Amino acid sequence: MMVVLRAMWRRAEGRFALVVLGLWLIVAGVSLFWTPRPLLETDGYHVWATPSAAHWLGTDGTGADVFSWLMAGSRTNLLIVVLTVLVAAVFGLLLVAAMVARRATVAVVSVVIVDALISIPTVLLALMLAVPLGASVVVIVVACGFGYGLNLARVARPAALLAARSSYVESALSNGASGWWIFVRHIVPNIVPVLLVQLSLSAGTSVLAESGLTYLGIGVPSGVPSWGHSLATSVKFINVYPLTVLWPGLIVTVVVVALNVFGDVLRDAIDPLTNPALRERSGR
Amino acid sequence: MSVAIRGLHVAIGGTSIIQDVDMDIAGGERVGLVGSSGSGKSMISRAIMGLLPAEATVSGSVVLGDRQVIGADDATVADLRGRYVGMVFQNPGSSLNPVMTVAQQIALPLRLHYDLNRAERLDRVRAMLDKVGLPGDVMGKYPHQLSGGQQQRVGIATALITSPRFIIADEPTTALDSIVQRQIVDLLVSLVDDAGASMLFITHDFAVLSRATTRCYVLADGAIVDSGATADLLARPAVPATVRLVSAARALSLTAASPVAALSTASPLTAESSTAE
Repeated sequence: MMVVLRAMWRRAEGRFALVVLGLWLIVAGVSLFWTPRPLLETDGYHVWATPSAAHWLGTDGTGADVFSWLMAGSRTNLLIVVLTVLVAAVFGLLLVAAMVARRATVAVVSVVIVDALISIPTVLLALMLAVPLGASVVVIVVACGFGYGLNLARVARPAALLAARSSYVESALSNGASGWWIFVRHIVPNIVPVLLVQLSLSAGTSVLAESGLTYLGIGVPSGVPSWGHSLATSVKFINVYPLTVLWPGLIVTVVVVALNVFGDVLRDAIDPLTNPALRERSGR
Repeated sequence: MSVAIRGLHVAIGGTSIIQDVDMDIAGGERVGLVGSSGSGKSMISRAIMGLLPAEATVSGSVVLGDRQVIGADDATVADLRGRYVGMVFQNPGSSLNPVMTVAQQIALPLRLHYDLNRAERLDRVRAMLDKVGLPGDVMGKYPHQLSGGQQQRVGIATALITSPRFIIADEPTTALDSIVQRQIVDLLVSLVDDAGASMLFITHDFAVLSRATTRCYVLADGAIVDSGATADLLARPAVPATVRLVSAARALSLTAASPVAALSTASPLTAESSTAE
């Protein structure tokens, strides 16, 4: 673990990703028991206030403290990212397993199904889910997890196919390993680099999707803090009070970039071929 | 474990790859299967292991001990593989999982077939490494950190860790240099003999075959065209396919042996005087 973190820290972009994501985790944790101002506190005399000692990032149209809402929003976004990545990973890997199955019929049919389903836009799926569920975190997680899972399956399939047809998989089969064992123990570990990059992209995109779907009114419900919620409530006044849009916009941008970079740097750090420290460790 | 193959026929996409192959390997016997590249040697080994491609159609009979492989259900074949039948592959570099350590690779058949805890597995791996002549510190290494010879020793250790009764060595020395080839063949033969197991040694090289087996079958275009004692076939090849393989082995041996022979027969005085000249 420390070997991997050290390898990531050695690179400038790795340091950037670790600092941003570390701050995100700390802020989300702290917001559980402390924010500068209570979330429901509003000050009718100081609406759209500029940053000051009392309100570090100013106030919104209701006079609520922007910094406190962004702090509380960080944990909603963290929850959405974690759940979306989990759903996408599980769904995507199940599809990959079917797409590289030794039974040709299963493989061919699953490839056709994935190609057909991938044409459904995530937003359309979210709109359909919002009909029975209303605005909800579940809508974002299920719609994004489904869409990103399909993307993951499609991108990871060539690497998984290469692993499935490799000599080491044949060797595992000759040792009596079952199809599922081989997928979990031999194929998945060998496609981790592709998975990491794709899942980190999915994590970043889910932050953007939260903002977009919340703006459309089918994402995070009203009253629940999130970065998308902070953007949606202030974006109409961007010409008059640009600062209230700038803060959540800036946070979303920085976090998305950090997530994208994180996957890339982590991929290199966990690969014994690109991380000499891992080789030295295994050689001891 | 005895092996009996009768009327084995394998076709892929309507093209016949193996035709009416009959083979017998007695318990404890080391038998060779020799043929040029593309003759279908590996296809026979895959048929024995039940590892033919999904699109292959297979008929005939392959009996390992008292169990029929052709047409058997997945569970039966999976139980045979690794536990009763071990396989050593051609290219050790690619047959080892690049993200698994040596200990994990060798312990795989134990994990799959025996209810042992981690410490017991590692003990057996350590003992097996000792048998194949590898130091204990390679246990934590990855395949890319080993030489070709070391990788093949790991492959042999993996195939033999469960003390299987039958070993298939599918061109185990093809990817190795001649010195390591000899070491690997000798190691494999001694381990198989010590275990009292039988072995099918597949190769295209008669020179290697004569060192590893006592009896062999010659395969050409998917059919057995010759069989007999390895030494006899090497000394008096009669069938054209055998003649070609033996001639190739002799030509390579002669070409390779000449300079060595010249050096070894040359006296120090001759060597010194030629240097002086």
